[in-house]
Amino acid sequence: MEDVLGLIGSVLASAIRYATPLVLAALGGLFSERSGVVNIGLEGLMLISAFTGVVGAYFSGNVIVGVLFALAGGLVFSLIHAIMCVTFEADQIISGVAINLLALGGTGFLMVLIFGSGGTSPRIGGFSEVPIPLLSQIPIIGPAFFNQSPLVYLMFLLIPLTFFVVYRTPFGLRLRATGEAPEAVDTAGVSVTRMRYYGVALSGLLAALGGAYFSMDQLSAFTERMTAGAGFIALAALISGRWNPIGAAVAALVFGFAQAVTFRIAQDAIPLEFLQMFPYILTIVALAAFGGRAIAPAAVGKPYRKE
Amino acid sequence: MDGGRRGKPVGGVLRRLLNQIGGALVFPLLAIGISFLIGAVIIIATGNNPVAAYVALITGAFGSPSAIGRTLVNATPLVFTGLGVAVAFRAGLFNIGGEGQVFIGAITAAGLGVALGPLGLLATLVCLLGCILTGFLWGAIPGFLKAFFGAHEVVTTIMLNFIAINLATYLALNTLRGEGLVPGTDTVAAAVRLPLIGLGLGRANYGILLGILAAVVAYVLLWRTGRGFQIRAVGLSPGAANYAGMGIKANTVLALAIGGAFCALGGFVQVIGVEGKMSIPFVANLGFNGIGVALLGRTHPVGVVFGALLFGGLQAGAQQMQFATDVPLSLSDVLLAVILLFVTATKIVEFVVGKRARTLAAGTRLDEGLGR
Repeated sequence: MEDVLGLIGSVLASAIRYATPLVLAALGGLFSERSGVVNIGLEGLMLISAFTGVVGAYFSGNVIVGVLFALAGGLVFSLIHAIMCVTFEADQIISGVAINLLALGGTGFLMVLIFGSGGTSPRIGGFSEVPIPLLSQIPIIGPAFFNQSPLVYLMFLLIPLTFFVVYRTPFGLRLRATGEAPEAVDTAGVSVTRMRYYGVALSGLLAALGGAYFSMDQLSAFTERMTAGAGFIALAALISGRWNPIGAAVAALVFGFAQAVTFRIAQDAIPLEFLQMFPYILTIVALAAFGGRAIAPAAVGKPYRKE
Repeated sequence: MDGGRRGKPVGGVLRRLLNQIGGALVFPLLAIGISFLIGAVIIIATGNNPVAAYVALITGAFGSPSAIGRTLVNATPLVFTGLGVAVAFRAGLFNIGGEGQVFIGAITAAGLGVALGPLGLLATLVCLLGCILTGFLWGAIPGFLKAFFGAHEVVTTIMLNFIAINLATYLALNTLRGEGLVPGTDTVAAAVRLPLIGLGLGRANYGILLGILAAVVAYVLLWRTGRGFQIRAVGLSPGAANYAGMGIKANTVLALAIGGAFCALGGFVQVIGVEGKMSIPFVANLGFNGIGVALLGRTHPVGVVFGALLFGGLQAGAQQMQFATDVPLSLSDVLLAVILLFVTATKIVEFVVGKRARTLAAGTRLDEGLGR
């Protein structure tokens, strides 16, 4: 019995670890898309910030400085996206694809320049678990929820915070209105441009935390292409969760859980490749069964031009 | 962008075509110019001479027959994946599943090619048709899920990438595992392979001609058939298309399925043309770069071919550049990304050329009908 409880606890703990960067990036994407800017560049935002975070941590020897560097990297790249999409009215999907490519090429380029070769960076001192006294001793949920790294706790705080900001504050109301009916926002005397810059910048900052999780927590180094599609899965979680913070977080957590479960059960009975397919098949089935007819913010993807 | 209706005088059609080409070239050329300027700043920042770097880059891409050969080899699969993304885009659908569809095509080609080796050129044809079929069916899955369950194609195509890659990898390493030391399938018999062009072009093969043929097919399909008209109508205005009695569901499934078939052929030319087998790890990012190629080419088949040549050329040239100077290879990805960033930034052109450009910019939006 103890064993079973222990197993459930450790599966749950690893599910949350898998899900953390997905939740963070999905919440980021939410701010951007709610403001009316499609952000298919989440993958690139995470990748560049995973890299800048390692650079900051490596040269300062301080993991907090690393996170600040990650945030800066994500912010700069998201602002490139904002300048192109909002100010210059470029196609948002193309700009997002370009951000992904820029992060891929940029990190490869800077790896050679800064660390002398591509591949993997030198190791840095990353985050480690911070058990919360007493609570971490609770069976099952203790190790899952109360013996994690600071970024995981931050992720848990950011879900309700995002919900509160988006649905309960004037800023959130304006943000949502900008994504649904920019003309009305404009008429009300609020700058559509400014709201969209805020939305995209927030997506950069949140995705940056996801990126930092990859390079400074899951692994204490940067490797090229280390985000490996997580940004796209975060985007999928955002859409499956119907652009709602709770929905997106739940979708990301379900995905993380599927990933954690597949790597614990039947490793010998089922070939690795089929195990790796499982979370993706599950997402498709779940989407087809429950999550269909996702309605995007009405003005998403369309540049706004004052008449 | 309506590619001409029948029964107009030839001169008018030609003039309009030239105008279209001129209009279509302004933004890509400007974007390329800006990209190389930014690239030059980056190269100077690394302590290198931008002129030397760019000379090496261009020589490495187009400077000799072997360079052109490398460019063609890089560009060939991208023509197909670019077309696959472009066709779906015209229906207002975003196919991010090209990567997985390439893997489906590659494993189909390798499996059939090895099994039917003795048949020679007939086997090549069977491989080609097999890839079209598997790609079509694989591409139809997200179309079906979208049409009948409302599952967003962006999500499902992303998920199907991971499934396809794992499935193809499993088959190549187990069921179809070959004898060789390199993990992957057996090598396809030489008689089945696409012949080399020769002329000192190295590994360049007739796959590139198939690519150009595919672009013609895509053009005819989209602009010269009733079905293509329907697909484009659904992309431009789903409501109007529905009102006109065009089945949105059928056209959604069909557009994504056709896109899947084109992308799978990208796997075909890579296996039957270049590598002769499906080795694991298989070449990555053909599908994802196809998105860039399609968008750079404004989702028009002619544009896609040139977009693929630009992608392929920059990738080929970057190796020469890294060899000749200290500029890392990845600069080519940075240049491509900057080109993509600016290629639809119509407002920038207004700053450069003035308001007149606005008329040019009209009709260049690619996002009409997307996100429905």
